[in-house]
Amino acid sequence: MTIKILDPTVSAEETAGAVVAKRVGDLDGKVLGLLHNGKVNADRLLDLVREQLGARYRLRDVVMIRKDSASRVADASDLDRLARECDAVVTAIGD
Amino acid sequence: MTLRAAEHEVAGWAEAVEAYYERGWTDGLPVVPATAEAVQAFLDAAGRKPDDVVLREATRRRTITAEKVAINAVMAGCRPEYMPVLLAALEAMAEPRFTLHGAITSTGGSATLVVVNGPIRKRLGLNAGGNVFGPGRRANATIGRAVRLITLNCLGALPGLLDRSTQGHPGKYTYCIAELEEENPWTPLHVDRGLPREASAVTVYAAESPHNVLSHYGESAEAVVVAIADTMASLGSFSPGESFVVLAPEHVQILARDGWTKPSIREALYARARRTRADLKRGGKLAGAVEPGDDTAWVHRGHGPEDIHIVVAGGGAGGHSAFIPSWSRDRNSLSVTKEIR
Repeated sequence: MTIKILDPTVSAEETAGAVVAKRVGDLDGKVLGLLHNGKVNADRLLDLVREQLGARYRLRDVVMIRKDSASRVADASDLDRLARECDAVVTAIGD
Repeated sequence: MTLRAAEHEVAGWAEAVEAYYERGWTDGLPVVPATAEAVQAFLDAAGRKPDDVVLREATRRRTITAEKVAINAVMAGCRPEYMPVLLAALEAMAEPRFTLHGAITSTGGSATLVVVNGPIRKRLGLNAGGNVFGPGRRANATIGRAVRLITLNCLGALPGLLDRSTQGHPGKYTYCIAELEEENPWTPLHVDRGLPREASAVTVYAAESPHNVLSHYGESAEAVVVAIADTMASLGSFSPGESFVVLAPEHVQILARDGWTKPSIREALYARARRTRADLKRGGKLAGAVEPGDDTAWVHRGHGPEDIHIVVAGGGAGGHSAFIPSWSRDRNSLSVTKEIR
């Protein structure tokens, strides 16, 4: 006798209405954001990113934000600030 | 209200068990096929509608309904009357201070320890005695397993994908105990956490495996406290996070006989579970070289005595208690208690 089993899984909800930021062609004259995940050595990694991108482009400014904890999502106010002030953002995990 | 989950027709019971494997819907052990009839019985037992929201996880954008909880509970081998424990555990895991997303993803490899208190322990036949962390009781085995199946199936914490545990531990299959309140001369865990004694409650804790504390021959409270504090101070799991100490009845009797109380035990453990900064640096727990003053600078486990939670459980014979360190190295994840309604 056949039986019917029920799907136990839950899918991620669609992020309806979310818009991907416009891609930037280069970083000349732009503001670079760096989001530090709070782990040891993330600052070193991001300093390296800043150095390398700084050598390649004429960055107007760099904004560095550090999360309190790698286990928690970034504060909405931090994400808003990055969105408001930066043209491009790099985040990295260190450890 | 009708169920919403997609149905898959299979040739029979044995084929259904294999179908779960093929779809990647198990923890590696066979599951009980979840049919609509069984799932409806679980929802009825809990007095829940299929689309009642039990848990929302924002980072993974998942919403877990009572129907999905019931499906996974059937699969885990639960009985319908276990549903209230499971629902309370999930509501506790949804509290922001538990940091569910981090706890089930991290390389730290935690499992969700579920501690049950109150009259529901006896109604469900939960084990609080011998072999409390081991096999043998359906309620312990399947409630803990249901939490894991929901973590896998509903939160997508699949090993190697959204569960990046370096090693994990066996508690990730199932990790549910009850407190042996009858052998506790002090207050049980749920009363410590603000609930009335007659309430039933569940406490969830993103936890490492239990670390055995064997202390047989001291025959004094001092000896028991020394052994537990030393285990808590061991470098491997040392951090300022919370601690659960699960005291065996034999140790409880010695502590109570010598006049110790929960507050005095907590104070003594906090005072003694400490290491120097030099030790922490030598063991790779802190970055940097040992500097002058590090050998006399002490760091304690936890932020204070209140970070140490004491539970009584285990068999009548044997001086074996357990220290269970937090997954969280500090405040990232904190244990949460909810009343079972």
